[in-house]
Amino acid sequence: MQRRDLIRGAGTVIPATVAFQMLGAKWAFAQDGDFDSPIDVLNYALTLEYLEAEFYRQGNSADLLQGKDAEYLRTVQRDEEAHVMTLTDTINKLGGSPVPAPKVDFGDAFTSRESFLEAGFTFENLGVSAYLGAAPALFQEKELLSAAASIFGVEARHAAILGNLLEKPAEGGVYMGATETPKPRDEVLQAAAPFIVSTVTL
Amino acid sequence: MILMESPIPAGRRRLLFGGRPVLTFREEASRRNFIKGSALVGVGATFVAYTASDQTAFAQGSGTDLEILNFALTLEFLEAEFYTMALQNNVVSGRERELVTPIRDHEMAHVQAITATVQDLGGTPTEKPMFTFPDGVFTDRAMFLETASMFEELGVTAYHGQVPNIQSPDVLAAAASIAGVESRHAAVIADIMGGNPFPAPFENSRTKDEVLNLAGQFIQS
Repeated sequence: MQRRDLIRGAGTVIPATVAFQMLGAKWAFAQDGDFDSPIDVLNYALTLEYLEAEFYRQGNSADLLQGKDAEYLRTVQRDEEAHVMTLTDTINKLGGSPVPAPKVDFGDAFTSRESFLEAGFTFENLGVSAYLGAAPALFQEKELLSAAASIFGVEARHAAILGNLLEKPAEGGVYMGATETPKPRDEVLQAAAPFIVSTVTL
Repeated sequence: MILMESPIPAGRRRLLFGGRPVLTFREEASRRNFIKGSALVGVGATFVAYTASDQTAFAQGSGTDLEILNFALTLEFLEAEFYTMALQNNVVSGRERELVTPIRDHEMAHVQAITATVQDLGGTPTEKPMFTFPDGVFTDRAMFLETASMFEELGVTAYHGQVPNIQSPDVLAAAASIAGVESRHAAVIADIMGGNPFPAPFENSRTKDEVLNLAGQFIQS
């Protein structure tokens, strides 16, 4: 059995009887074939982190925020930049080739405080769902899994605080229910596609 | 973890409740299981009475998914009761209450979900311990928030400590989907109390040595 089969196989050994009642059918493992290898997963994450880091770099340069807003969003930018660096280093250490930063276009996102924060809110919640959706593909790689989880948690922090800065309802805005919801790769890429103008292979 | 050292400095650690235990178990076996679980996931010994003889519990190897789930269940029991009592006592109001109310609901949902999962796996859900919360924590807003923050940050650490130990992908999926919500809670509580919702670019988890270091403060001699 090849290595990639082992990783994909992680999704197939779940006993059907182990039903997580509250989650029910909501939980969707990464589709079989979503990822070819751990490096594929890391490059998928790297693309999303590049997107986020550049988003905050441009947004924070647009001088739309003040006070606590500005302070928080600078920290969020630093977090995303740290994720980019860490993922790049890890892919290199594993002998892979990090994908290049995509060329991006955020359209009208930087016209006001609200539009900036609203777009950030969308990106962060997308990131949370993307990491959770990809986690099963790293199941056999415990160190990578732990690392991805530790990024995922920080994305959830960002998502909650951006929702709160926008004074969204607590449930369905700041929080997205008692459990996070995973998204499969194709849904995530579809959501990110409008902002990526260059052709990148994910 | 191969990616990067934990960015959280040791000096950030705080004493929980001045070192007094807040959990009382009716059954010794439950208490010992919880302490063992604490060691497995790298957090939690701060919550329980801890004696020198419990060192042997820490020496045990990796636990089963059932042990990990029962450890998480105890923490969720703690959080659920904490927020339930806080809201009953109206310790926060306005937008703060609006933000805290779903946290209580989430912790209660986590209790139900983990209980159901333990049962589905053929295990016995751990008993709900008795909680001894310190005076004032449900009447003093600042004290409530400080305590909530410690619980949430420890909860986040606990779930992240479990990630590499979990053996079933399904249990991992459930734990991860809960962990993300605990991160949201931690950030919101930090924001409310004027703290830093983003203390580091990576969530922290604790090693066994760090737990022993923390737990040492609670050894009754």
